[in-house]
Amino acid sequence: MRLLVLASAIWTILAMAFLHHKTKGFGKRTLFSKPAGSPRKGALYAFTRGMAPWAKESVMLNLPSYVAGMAFHAGVFSAFGLMCLALLGFELPFFLLVIAQVFTLLGAIGGLSLFVKRIVKAELRGLSCPDDFVSNLLSTAFALLAFLWTLVPSMESLWLAEGALLLIYAPIGKIRHCLFFFTTRYHLGAFFGRRGTFPPEGNSHA
Amino acid sequence: MPELDELESRLDALVEGDFQRGLEVFRSKLKEAEASYLNSCVHCGLCASSCHYHRADATLENVPAHKLDVIAAVFKRNFTAMGRVAPGLVGARTFDREMAKAWVDAVFGRCSLCGRCSINCTIGIAMPRIFRAARAALGAMGLTPSDLQATVDNSLQHGNNMAITQEDWVETVQWIEEELQMEVDDPEAKLPLDKKGAKILFTVNPREPKFFPLSLQASAKVFWAAKEDWTLSSDPGWDLTNYGLFNCKDDEAGAITQNLVDAMERLGCKTLVIGECGHGYGAARWEGPEWLQKSYPFEIKSILELMDDYLREGRIHVDPSKNTVPVTLHDPCNLVRHGGICEAQRRVLRKSVTTFTEMTPNRAENFCCGGGGGQLSMARYKNRRIQSGGVKAGQIKDTGAKIVVAPCHNCIDQLMELNKEYKLNVQIKTVAEMVADAIVTTA
Ligand code: SF4
Ligand code: SF4
Repeated sequence: MRLLVLASAIWTILAMAFLHHKTKGFGKRTLFSKPAGSPRKGALYAFTRGMAPWAKESVMLNLPSYVAGMAFHAGVFSAFGLMCLALLGFELPFFLLVIAQVFTLLGAIGGLSLFVKRIVKAELRGLSCPDDFVSNLLSTAFALLAFLWTLVPSMESLWLAEGALLLIYAPIGKIRHCLFFFTTRYHLGAFFGRRGTFPPEGNSHA
Repeated sequence: MPELDELESRLDALVEGDFQRGLEVFRSKLKEAEASYLNSCVHCGLCASSCHYHRADATLENVPAHKLDVIAAVFKRNFTAMGRVAPGLVGARTFDREMAKAWVDAVFGRCSLCGRCSINCTIGIAMPRIFRAARAALGAMGLTPSDLQATVDNSLQHGNNMAITQEDWVETVQWIEEELQMEVDDPEAKLPLDKKGAKILFTVNPREPKFFPLSLQASAKVFWAAKEDWTLSSDPGWDLTNYGLFNCKDDEAGAITQNLVDAMERLGCKTLVIGECGHGYGAARWEGPEWLQKSYPFEIKSILELMDDYLREGRIHVDPSKNTVPVTLHDPCNLVRHGGICEAQRRVLRKSVTTFTEMTPNRAENFCCGGGGGQLSMARYKNRRIQSGGVKAGQIKDTGAKIVVAPCHNCIDQLMELNKEYKLNVQIKTVAEMVADAIVTTA
């Protein structure tokens, strides 16, 4: 099982590297207009203050979904952390284990709630393709199994197999956003930074 | 509606080669950034309410991610391995007549390219960059709405988007000059035409000579008060508009930009000043050099920055008590969010009026008035334009202001329609008009 997880992880890394390389292959745009601001500062803003919930109206208007999403991501990352430690044979100190349990459980709940939302809300359902459901289910199950494994260690094989499946699927579907989130956000920040829009000066909700 | 039928019949007449050409043009517009955007959407749906179309009419078709999705579906099918292997799984679609129709509806019919969704997207997808690539592809397939294309054709054939003759333009300038001389009681007050070696070449939206001469007169008054060395051009270099930004045919957009560059060269001016027009500023300042694939050998500024400079340097003096009616400010998307000109107009207004109330939200978070992206020229989508403009109308009402200042003549056109439709009972003015009203000449 450990070898399967390792092979899956290697596949994920190689496939993501290939996707990145392919995207790079589209080429960089040479820009001729004189910049009004700094792309670097814009990108920095996009990754920091620009991601704060209060900086985004879309977050403030959808706080429950935002919280569920954050919990979901935290849970999946915690589960990956646990998996790495399990593969390396490390045992977590008790208080860290409790934190990991809280994160993975909340992550699974967050993932499940987003899954239900996707089914129940007509607009979101209309926006979805099968990949959205598969990606959610694989990730939610991974977080949930990680939580259960902390209570029932004999579930390790099932959890690791599910983890391998998640790793194999990641570059295939929308989980690839774990790569493209960073490149997209960088480009957004650089674009608005160059134009002097990011970082913003005034309070746009005043 | 003849245009509607015409576009439908153009869609019906598409043949395989058209789709191929569309795909080629679409691909040619994509660089690393756009390829990343097209791989990024997680279908969270949080962008929905950031779009004024969706605010006004909460349907799936108006969700920005859905508009993006119809484009991304074709991208996936043609340019990604998974889109070819398992199209059903990842939502990839073949570019056929049905999809072409969906593209037209999404990028021409339901988007003003305002970019508000970009900054509210969970991931950060700059959607208008994708929508512009799709518009370019549709243009190559002969699917640009004909009234939008006619506006571009006017610029290409007549040197301005309203087909104003050179004679009419020059006469109007002379007439406004006489009006200005009377207003400021100075026979030396001028609207110089073709003054070689002037420091500034000032450009205007053709709506000014055609419908809003007071706007041009107000700008001229500001230049007069600042004792500026400026000129207008009598050749096509006087028109700042460029609807090539909206039909997204870069060669046509570049040819229109070239008019400005040629006028600058012919007159030997140092600074090209773009009058109050959002898309005109965006086109000339940001996209023009990209269309021409070269940097300008001159400086380019918005008149808003210039007025801000004048006030800061004490070149003009204003008395806000001359403008006591409550004022609010509209932020044109191409000037503010996409243009980066955000604070200059605010500093100018705060000095020129007694009561200035911001809309909420404002600046880079502003809502589009609904007239951007070429919507004003596309008659077939008029109802959607007016409906989506209801969001802006609501913002205006909430401020309680009686004057809406809009540094963009396209926005002004839309706001005037909203004024009627939503019974706002406001006056709509440019920043220069407010400044001109507040100017004190004895200081
Ligand atoms: S660019 Fe503006 S109009 Fe277009 S989808 Fe985004 S928010 Fe809506
Ligand atoms: S917010 Fe961004 S990632 Fe989420 S659905 Fe909209 S476009 Fe896609």
